[in-house]
Amino acid sequence: MTVPAAVGALIQVTLVIAVAPILTGLMRATRAKLEGRAGPSVVQPWRDIRKLLHKERIKPEYSGWVFLLAPRVLLASGLMVVVLVPLITTATALGGSGDLFAVVYLVLLGTVFLVLAGLDPGTAFGGMGASRAITVAALAEPAFLLAIFALSVRAGSSSLATIVDSVLAEPRSLASPGSLLALAAVSVVVLAESGRLPVDNPSTHLELTMIHESMVLEYAGPDLAVVELASQVRLTIFLGLIANLFAPWGIAVTTHPADLAIGTGVVVAKLALLGVVIATFEVFVAKMRLFRVPELLTAAFILAFLAITMSFFLT
Amino acid sequence: MTDSALSQLLGLAIGTALVCAYVVLWRSRLISIVRAIAVQGAAVAVVALTLGLHEHSVEPVAAAVGVFALKAVIIPMLLARWIRQSEELREVDPLINIPASLLAGGLLTLFVYATARQVANLGSDSASRAVPAAIAIVMLGLLVMTIRRKAVTQVAGFLLLENGIALVAFLTTSGLPLLIELGGALDLLLVVLVLHVLAGRMVSAFGATDLNQLQELRD
Amino acid sequence: MSAGTWGLAFAAAAGGIGTIAALVTVGPTRRWLVGILSGLSAAAGGATAILVLVGHGPVTVHLPQILPLAGVELNLDALGAVFVLAVAIVALPASIYGIGYTAHGLNRRSVQAMYPLFIVSLLLVPAAASVSTLLLLWEAMALTSLVLVAAEHRDRSEVREAAWWYGSMSHLSMIAILMALVVFAGHAPGETFEALRMSGRHLSSSTRSFVFVLSLVGFGTKAGVVPLHVWLPRAHPEAPSHVSALMSGAMVNLGIYGVLRVTWDLLGGGPIWWGITVLFVGVTSALFGILHALVARDLKRLLAYSTSENMGLILVAVGAAGIYSSSGNPMLAGVAITAALLHIVNHAAFKGLLFLGAGSVVAATGTRDLDRMGGLLARMPVTGAAFAVGSLAIMALPPFNGFVSEWLLLKSLVQGLPASSVAISVTMPIAVGAVALTGGLAAAAFAKAFGTGFLARPRSPQVEAAAEVGGTMQTGMVSLAVACLGLGLAPFALLDVLRRAGAALPSLWGGEPVRSVGVTLHTGGLTGSLSPLFIGGGLILLVVLIPVVLRLLGVAGRRRVAENWGSGRSLQTARMEYTATSFAEPLQRVFDDVLRPEFDLAVTHTAESRYYVEAVRYRVGIVDGFETHVYRPLIRVAKRWGEMSRWVQNGSIHRYLAYLFVALLIVLLVSQ
Repeated sequence: MTVPAAVGALIQVTLVIAVAPILTGLMRATRAKLEGRAGPSVVQPWRDIRKLLHKERIKPEYSGWVFLLAPRVLLASGLMVVVLVPLITTATALGGSGDLFAVVYLVLLGTVFLVLAGLDPGTAFGGMGASRAITVAALAEPAFLLAIFALSVRAGSSSLATIVDSVLAEPRSLASPGSLLALAAVSVVVLAESGRLPVDNPSTHLELTMIHESMVLEYAGPDLAVVELASQVRLTIFLGLIANLFAPWGIAVTTHPADLAIGTGVVVAKLALLGVVIATFEVFVAKMRLFRVPELLTAAFILAFLAITMSFFLT
Repeated sequence: MTDSALSQLLGLAIGTALVCAYVVLWRSRLISIVRAIAVQGAAVAVVALTLGLHEHSVEPVAAAVGVFALKAVIIPMLLARWIRQSEELREVDPLINIPASLLAGGLLTLFVYATARQVANLGSDSASRAVPAAIAIVMLGLLVMTIRRKAVTQVAGFLLLENGIALVAFLTTSGLPLLIELGGALDLLLVVLVLHVLAGRMVSAFGATDLNQLQELRD
Repeated sequence: MSAGTWGLAFAAAAGGIGTIAALVTVGPTRRWLVGILSGLSAAAGGATAILVLVGHGPVTVHLPQILPLAGVELNLDALGAVFVLAVAIVALPASIYGIGYTAHGLNRRSVQAMYPLFIVSLLLVPAAASVSTLLLLWEAMALTSLVLVAAEHRDRSEVREAAWWYGSMSHLSMIAILMALVVFAGHAPGETFEALRMSGRHLSSSTRSFVFVLSLVGFGTKAGVVPLHVWLPRAHPEAPSHVSALMSGAMVNLGIYGVLRVTWDLLGGGPIWWGITVLFVGVTSALFGILHALVARDLKRLLAYSTSENMGLILVAVGAAGIYSSSGNPMLAGVAITAALLHIVNHAAFKGLLFLGAGSVVAATGTRDLDRMGGLLARMPVTGAAFAVGSLAIMALPPFNGFVSEWLLLKSLVQGLPASSVAISVTMPIAVGAVALTGGLAAAAFAKAFGTGFLARPRSPQVEAAAEVGGTMQTGMVSLAVACLGLGLAPFALLDVLRRAGAALPSLWGGEPVRSVGVTLHTGGLTGSLSPLFIGGGLILLVVLIPVVLRLLGVAGRRRVAENWGSGRSLQTARMEYTATSFAEPLQRVFDDVLRPEFDLAVTHTAESRYYVEAVRYRVGIVDGFETHVYRPLIRVAKRWGEMSRWVQNGSIHRYLAYLFVALLIVLLVSQ
């Protein structure tokens, strides 16, 4: 790991931690404006985290070390993905060994620990959320892996830097049906994994409709702050992946400071745009019944499958 | 438009048509199925249009306009009115559940690709490379007709079949003579109207258009 | 004698002394002697394997006088050494674990005497170098394991049934292997593997296909692939847990060894349909296995089906290697076979660990039913932590070893496209789709196993009274957990020696498919790289750093133990938790058409009125589809044949004399 690459990775991590809550705040503000409410300020999630950090630390009576370890693993896996993914620059740590398959498994690690943390306190709603979350994750992961397959067929490797470079070299390939189908599949997976509508409503207060929120019902204080930050970081990573796999213009290809500055600005703008688009989409779509979600995820799986086979039909 | 832009447009249209076939397999709300058929009809029209522009001939373009009018506007409107009248909104209980039917569709597409490669290699341009996709749409239409129960979905499957055949015709011969297209279109309209009347009779006899009820008619 | 020969001889001798010790001693002495001697035997075997793998050349032993008609020929080359290493990795901890485990009523002479012999046969099967040696050792392995499976047959009837299934299927597999190898040896100048290898390429293609199919059937039964897997979910749960660990972690691998050795070494590889068949068998096994693991209520049955799934994944890799090499892409074939061999070693480690953990749970609570467990992490911290490590490893999550082999497997399948061959274009998307789906379902199955089994509160009184197991059992589990972590962070040494193993299969190897440079792995031609140490190490570092950062931000350290909030519920009992069955129910619904669960709902109304319900009884059960629709009809047909043939033997002397008379007449006629 060279020094400039380490600096680039450090800048990426700092940027993502700083921007993630603001991105969530932006999405909430957009949704509020469209729904005719005044809405919270964009920096409200940061204020929430600061408030939570100073609250009392609690351990529910029947839980164990899994419950206490889960927030840390969730945040650690998210930050590890940030180190690997090219958000600002493609010259990340380890010179291009950031592999998309590794990203999928790191995300799954965080999800599995959160599921276990939902089961640990022994509450009914925690178990319900855990069961639903693992169903969604088990069906979204194959779709994600197949979509990566589709992307790597085009680029010749599943390494993130290679895929970004190949799209930069040949922008026309984005308009092919294969890339569009892969984009559709990845979008559905991102909505499912980050707990957005139509799979899960992030702002619901009814436990029977929750998936992600009911797993974290027992968390309070600093632990909840870590969980919230980790969820926001994961959303940022997913949106950053979509932005840079399908619209990578502006990304830095070296670790020159000027390139890094431009790359930072461009990625922040892309994240903001994607956040507004998703928030707008959420206003107009309703949450799906839980037992229709597997149909949606299977459709995403088939879209990714089609993305691969489409290249056989039209070259 | 340049040649490569035209072939990209062709690819996009074929892709859209194939995805619409899967949407018919996926959705259980009847109105969504009808919208998917409408989009697919438009995609078939775009294919005809692209091929006409590529060959600089007017017949495929005229056929494209006709296909658009019939398959993307008239028939979907008829089907939508039918759905409103019959007050049935959803497809219930297909023979195999929806994730399984989607996976079956995927495997079917691969199978068609593996077996129809000879056809694809007949011509040398991108249009003939896409023929297996059109054959896949035909097979998906048959799959929909086999596993679904409501009358509207059966018609949708039949329309998929029709669109697939039309696509194969356009891609291999770059357009049939206009007269044959016209005849085919009139046939299609007739079929839809007859099925509409049949479904009306089924509703008044059984209260629903579940095809499984037809088994009661045997003696 | 070379060092390797000494190693094998020591292993065999230690095993033999262990058996004698079991027959001669009693009580704790027996347990300790058997455990230590078996462990030494396993260690010696492992050391020999390592010697062969680092390049000291194959170990050959030639004993023509031992048996009449054919001697014992042993030749441990690099390929066999990988499998011996996998056996050693499981056998050493399992033997130590067995010292404490057999104290719970399993310290019987028969069981303890067979155990060292089982280990010795497992160590020697990959070293067999002639048909008769292989068959002899294979049968020894089958018989010793049968006795071990039936260890508790006096206590439970399910054990007897399991032993019947296991015995019948292993003998059916023996017949298939026998036919395949005997036909092969009949066309060859001799019966040693060397002779078979020389003549393999020159056989007619129909003979080669016959040998391939029969050896796939025979060895595949031992590996537990669908549809020959029905003995696995019966035998593994009923066997003592350290034996289950050996069977799942070491014995099923030998089925894969047989397929690799016969098909791609002795026969020298074949047409592309061989690879396609193996790949499709693998895909079916993987999907079927993990679906049944997902809905299993019995902890050890879940683990047994998961073994079937992992063997399916390994066969997918082997089949892909066959397809690639038949399509002229030896580099990718090498990547695929490296993935297969790496997964074999990794699976031995984490499946052994999981079974030892399950054994501890069974020993402490007396039940295998996940729906009744819960809260074991607080009562059995070491077992729980070890089971957690095993679960994370089998879910292929960093920083453990499953992640590396799953990554390598996916890479080998994905790099195949774009391809001009239609076989690759059709099979690789299906294979990747299947591997991806099994990965997701495996995460669900093991989140269920660990989550509902160890977390929350106990759901039955016997589990509430559980206590941590003894020191030797803990040592066994912890050593395997450390191995999983080590192999996950630093698989480089292993990959370098796997190269030598792969090179022993020249029909599947080419170039330098996987290299390790410093801390990074590179697949052929730098098309992909992964640094497990960076990812795993970075994860652990971050997990440790986060509380430090929180402390710096002024967050208080101490926690108050508080009541569960539970959405405002004031009274919480253990009955309100999610059980294993309810946890897996949403996913089970998605796959209803494949699993076909049987529902039974019985509602008892009160005597006074039909509108009031007194009791509701709901039962849901999922049976193995192959058992109900394939095996039971076959058994019924066989029984009917048996009954029909009863009239042939009705006890009358006159009829038997008549048979003799007719037979002689026929002989006279035929010999004309």
